Amino acid sequence: MGKLDGKVAAITGSTRSIGRAIAEAYLREGAQVVINGRSAEKGAVAMKEMGGGANVAFFAGDARNQKDCEGIVDFAIEKFGKLDIMVLNSGGVENTAPVAQMTDEEWMLEVTWNLHSVFWGMRKALQHMIPREAGRIIVTSSVEGKLGKPGIPGYAATKHAVLGLMKSAAHEVGTLNITVNAILPGIIETDIVRETGPDSAIAMGLGTYENMIALFCKESAIKRPNKVEEVAEVAVLLARDVAAGITGTSFPVDGGTMPY
Amino acid sequence: MELQGRVAVITGGTRGIGRAIAEAYLADGASVVINGRSADKGAEAIREMNGGDRVFFVQGDVKSREGCQAIIDAAIAKYGKIDIMVNNAGGSTDNAQVVDLTDEALDNALKWNLWSTFWCTQMALRDMLPRGWGRIINISSLEGKHGKPGVSIYVTAKHAINGLTKSCAQEIGTTGVTINCICPGAIETDTMRDEGPGAAVAMGMTYQDLLDWFASEAAIKRLNSCDEVAAVASLLASEAGAGITGSMISVDGGTAAY
Repeated sequence: MGKLDGKVAAITGSTRSIGRAIAEAYLREGAQVVINGRSAEKGAVAMKEMGGGANVAFFAGDARNQKDCEGIVDFAIEKFGKLDIMVLNSGGVENTAPVAQMTDEEWMLEVTWNLHSVFWGMRKALQHMIPREAGRIIVTSSVEGKLGKPGIPGYAATKHAVLGLMKSAAHEVGTLNITVNAILPGIIETDIVRETGPDSAIAMGLGTYENMIALFCKESAIKRPNKVEEVAEVAVLLARDVAAGITGTSFPVDGGTMPY
Repeated sequence: MELQGRVAVITGGTRGIGRAIAEAYLADGASVVINGRSADKGAEAIREMNGGDRVFFVQGDVKSREGCQAIIDAAIAKYGKIDIMVNNAGGSTDNAQVVDLTDEALDNALKWNLWSTFWCTQMALRDMLPRGWGRIINISSLEGKHGKPGVSIYVTAKHAINGLTKSCAQEIGTTGVTINCICPGAIETDTMRDEGPGAAVAMGMTYQDLLDWFASEAAIKRLNSCDEVAAVASLLASEAGAGITGSMISVDGGTAAY
């Protein structure tokens, strides 16, 4: 008997890394899961590796595109009949830079990817959940949702912004058995961090990827990066029926990094 | 059975939040030591929990070092170790506005909430650190982050627990032992029913007004439940909790500002 038997979840950006770990944990707990990513190839690989049979479906779409953010909700409903849990996980940076050197294009990309995508997905999911008076919305923020490191101003700004969006929405739907929460992971060596980390490290003035990882570790109490499984178990908890009284919360999974 | 083979100690575990955590841990496979001041309530809890040899009651008061030591010693004598220490006992009596507050009321609240957490944390750490695995979970409160009038002794003690937790987390971060706080919103436990009316007087309102006030501040417009806290306590005690430390986890229906 799983903790999420009979639930349907959709997770943006979930063919790999944090989103994938959440998808696998939900599947293990008995949910039906829609995973999402830009690449049909990566989607096919994820589907094969997860081995969830008819309980997993892949929706090819780009979180930076409003149509796709809304499309995943429609897809989940079409595929599994409803949507109980929406995990707004997709996000990142491409060519980040200090504020003085930040291009409008990169700024726009980060705002679109990390903030607009969360808004679009949240709005669409709420429109389905509010009449049903049931739902769980989980936003993947970051330690940078409370802190702010040099060289990643767009990331820090948007990860802060989603917390404001989350808190406001939590109060809007607080009596409807719909919770809205954020998880704030510390650094995790996901594929996306390995891919974009070297450029971010340069923007942060740290030179190398290794230095960047070391800085995050040093700031934590555990002196190591976090793990995707640590985030996934919190995502399970927040999705459960018993978590009905937890909303508007910024849940840290950062090994003791954030001061509040 | 995520906690199979683990031993948990829960101060003030015969009723309310502590009891819900004890039951959750029992369901997860752990052996559980519960504590309380009343032998009668302890016996009743043991009977109701029906956990056989995996539940053990230690009568004692956490308001002294000796009282805490007796609980820790009894747990180790019974089950050989402590993996999970839940510092749950706490409360306040003789609440009053600061201008009228007695030294005794403050001292009692600090002993009950802060000193007990310090003592049991220290004693549990001495068992956990050499073994390189442990979970300390301190039941703080929404009032560990905010502050309401008339209950300054409680608010002060709960804030202090948060500080102790953050500092300790940095000390033991690489040892395999985590320490966190759960910050519940108001829950109508037996303790709340016992102490709430007195606190309400100090706050200048009726007990029902007090409950309504807490509910009105929450997004969910209701009080929280013990099971909601227990679910978080289970998560923090699990293997996946290894990467969560020094955190103040709110279970308050969207009340705390941070």
